Amino acid sequence: MTEFYSLPNTGEFWHWTNALHFVLVGLAGGMALLAAILTLRQHPERNRYLWLAALLIVLDLFVLWAESPARWRFSHVWLFLGLHPSAPIWWGAWGLALSLVATLAVVLKPWVGFLRRIPEQLPGLLLLLGSLVALAYPGFALAVNTTRPLWNSMMLFLFPITALLMVLAVALLLGSEWARRWESWAAVLSLGLLVAYPFTLPEAARTHLLHEGLLGYALAGLLIAVAALLFRNPRWAAALGLAGAVGLRWVLVMVGQFQSPGL
Amino acid sequence: MARLGMLIDLSACVGCAACAVACKMENQVPAGASRLWIREREVGTFPNLTVEFRPEQCNHCENPPCVPVCPTGASYQTPDGLVQVDYNKCIACGACVAACPYDARYINKKGYADKCTFCSHRIAKGQQPACVETCPTYARVFGDLDDPNSEISKTLKAAGRQDVLRPEMGTRPKVIYLNAPSKKGLTQEVTRHD
Repeated sequence: MTEFYSLPNTGEFWHWTNALHFVLVGLAGGMALLAAILTLRQHPERNRYLWLAALLIVLDLFVLWAESPARWRFSHVWLFLGLHPSAPIWWGAWGLALSLVATLAVVLKPWVGFLRRIPEQLPGLLLLLGSLVALAYPGFALAVNTTRPLWNSMMLFLFPITALLMVLAVALLLGSEWARRWESWAAVLSLGLLVAYPFTLPEAARTHLLHEGLLGYALAGLLIAVAALLFRNPRWAAALGLAGAVGLRWVLVMVGQFQSPGL
Repeated sequence: MARLGMLIDLSACVGCAACAVACKMENQVPAGASRLWIREREVGTFPNLTVEFRPEQCNHCENPPCVPVCPTGASYQTPDGLVQVDYNKCIACGACVAACPYDARYINKKGYADKCTFCSHRIAKGQQPACVETCPTYARVFGDLDDPNSEISKTLKAAGRQDVLRPEMGTRPKVIYLNAPSKKGLTQEVTRHD
């Protein structure tokens, strides 16, 4: 039996607001990727996705700012100007910032004189770069914590794939038919990763996942499974896929704050 | 340049928690958070039964996983090997808290990551950390691990088995434990903190 005088800091350090950020950053990064591809292909729907991407990035940054106990220091963006490439959050901040600037450069082009002289492909390429970084960053931010067994290297795949599932589902709900095939693939891939993930965990971590997050994990799995198999009604499939991906990301962030045994 | 570290002789620790209290007082640690705590665990079975009192805190690792994940450079290593937080640079993102294998960090409500500093403000004045100075059984020794004439180096040289927490993590802690009561090293156990 173990007892303590004073307690180690084993409590939750990331709260629901952080889980919300991990959902929003997936939506923002994924939407920025869709917008970049549509911009580079000169797709007629690109403006709608550019605005959506900008809105989601701003919303995500606002959530981060609002939830931070260091709210005023956080606004000091120059703290990120130092070079810290080993920190996933540093990459995430730059990915989101680059995506926002590139998005605004495209959408504001008709109204801002000097932007008209820049070929649209340039901000499109910058947006592609920034969106890929923003898409990849949450998985890296979790996977670097080797002390937390639930956040293993599967995070590097689970987070980008579920982000794509979320944004393709949104695109489908907005009536973009081109998203239909890709959304099905993202749902199938997400489901495969979701099924495989528990088998990649050490036993203690798997037990913790099943003990603390079984309901959420199973529900997310069920929603994504139905989304992956529900070909007849793409809108329902999209709604369920979106809900499942949000739930899965939420569960992984919250339950994964489990410190491995060994002390 | 010094390489500061601490050793804790578990055969001398009686689990009085005076170090934990001194730390709280010295550093004004807020309620609900700890820079230092004592883990008490029974070892063995009757009649070969003993109790391990194990003080734990930031290990000021030589390879600290909390430093490279910091996006603003707020977590850093000093030239003498202490792992510190620059409160003015910290954005309280929690990345270092997530990375620490020892649960040594917490987010201070004032808006920064916080943890044991080895009482750097006292070291700067030539004093010992509060936990060392207050220990009634002299279980703790603090000093320069690279100085062969320091008390910590001499004690380590004379000691038998030396243990650190979670050596498998490759963090190379500079809080070193001597005389673990199990004689096989520090106890390990799956624990839950409900």
